[in-house]
Amino acid sequence: MRQWQGLNPAPRPSIRGAGVWITGAVLAPVISFSVHAASCCGGGAASTLVLPKFSRAMVDVALDAEHYDGFWRGDGAWSPDPSGSDLNQYRLNLGAAYRLGDNWQAAVSVPYVWNRNEYAGLERNTDGLGDATLSLWYEAFDNVMCVWRVENWEDLKPAVYWGASLTLPTGTSPYDDVRDNFDITGRGFYRLDGHLTVEKTVYPWTATMSLSYGRHLERPINREYGEYVAPYDKQLGDRASGTLGLGYTVFTQEAETYTLALSYSDLWEDEARIDGRSDPTSGLRKRAAGLALAWSDAARAWVVRAAWSHAIARDGWGRNFPTTDIFTVGVSHVFP
Amino acid sequence: MSFLERGARWMLPMLLALGLTACTVEDDLLPSDEDRRPDVVAGTVGVQPGQIAPDFTLPDTGGADFTLSEHLAGGAQPADAIVLYFTMWCPVCLGHTDHLLNELVPRFAGRGTVVYGLVDYVSGSVENARAMEQSNGYAGSAFAVLIDADLQVFDTYRGAMGKIVVIGPDGVIQLNEDYRTGNNTAVALDRLLP
Repeated sequence: MRQWQGLNPAPRPSIRGAGVWITGAVLAPVISFSVHAASCCGGGAASTLVLPKFSRAMVDVALDAEHYDGFWRGDGAWSPDPSGSDLNQYRLNLGAAYRLGDNWQAAVSVPYVWNRNEYAGLERNTDGLGDATLSLWYEAFDNVMCVWRVENWEDLKPAVYWGASLTLPTGTSPYDDVRDNFDITGRGFYRLDGHLTVEKTVYPWTATMSLSYGRHLERPINREYGEYVAPYDKQLGDRASGTLGLGYTVFTQEAETYTLALSYSDLWEDEARIDGRSDPTSGLRKRAAGLALAWSDAARAWVVRAAWSHAIARDGWGRNFPTTDIFTVGVSHVFP
Repeated sequence: MSFLERGARWMLPMLLALGLTACTVEDDLLPSDEDRRPDVVAGTVGVQPGQIAPDFTLPDTGGADFTLSEHLAGGAQPADAIVLYFTMWCPVCLGHTDHLLNELVPRFAGRGTVVYGLVDYVSGSVENARAMEQSNGYAGSAFAVLIDADLQVFDTYRGAMGKIVVIGPDGVIQLNEDYRTGNNTAVALDRLLP
């Protein structure tokens, strides 16, 4: 049952409905994209979509522009990219989410990746499909959990989402028939993730916490960068990420909304294993801050957003991973 | 038409497109454990293990030329093993080269002569390569940084980020693959060195 049914005054349903958008359209992109980066080193994957409560379906198109600015070494020391280099990756993310039941939804996201790498002595531009993601979400709540005022303890109940996603190795990996590392748009491994998102809105504020834990599946490898090698088995390390987000929503007189959100994310991946032996040169960590701004129309049918994720290019804020800025513009359309 | 049917109508094309795309990337979706390495004829020149390494000359950051054949048996500066690592000064590359420098170089110190070369295929000039060598703490290290400005060695050896090549004193390639854990490099050096 929809909580807002029968409530008055009339504008309240749409305003209350806006609250669920904060996860679906503003914080979620920041959460998702701030932990992805650098297809050669662990990114290039799509994010997962979260459908607003009571909506039946959603389509989403987003363009990421990711600019590389150095990297963290294995000991956490930050190091600049080679002088004269200009390294970028662009991703067009197509996604769709569909409600399966009152509390269940499924989504698919597929990225297309363009690599634009310019060094002082080399320029390579390549493109290809990235790693796609299928996801399933369960909403552990039956009503919109957004409130205007906290009047009793029940008003403090958050919206809780449990999710599972499967990343498919649809991108071009080092284990495909490729020329070299510049062709890479995906990691080449299946990964199964569990997700927990907890969100609470007390207008105009929304706080979100999102946690994920993923396990890569082991696979055989018989080729590296186009050259066949003696077969071996490899499993990338388990991956965990957490994000805290805070959003502020402003309503216009026409019932449109503008939401500004800040986030902080932390991504960690354990060492890979090759034929059962731990790879001491692998594993990664990345911490990033995010800023997002979204506009939604009065009907909550359209959301346009812009987001910026900034990895902190200082010693100790990451490990074994590029530091990048990710700029995202996207638009979502919801079918009520 | 029910809601589910309507949903399926637009979800199915997406999944179909994904499935068709998957057909082109089956190497990852259905990875093979089959050994498909080509047969190698001993004594031929090539970059497969068991073949004779193609000779090359590259400048190093010290201003000298590095010629592979000069470090083979019968050359002016013969070594017991030559190790070449392809670097683009990225986190993966430095993870490997730090491991090589801190783990393998000390392990095999005193066992014959090993030449460790970093083939820099992105810097394009001695000046840029020297700057990266210094900023990453490799100046004065066991590594000779070789500048592959015209991608001569990168193309010939089918180089890529993280690839390592181990060559014996007879010029025969012992290893040409991703560095992985470094274990195969250690095994190859252990086999070659006195």
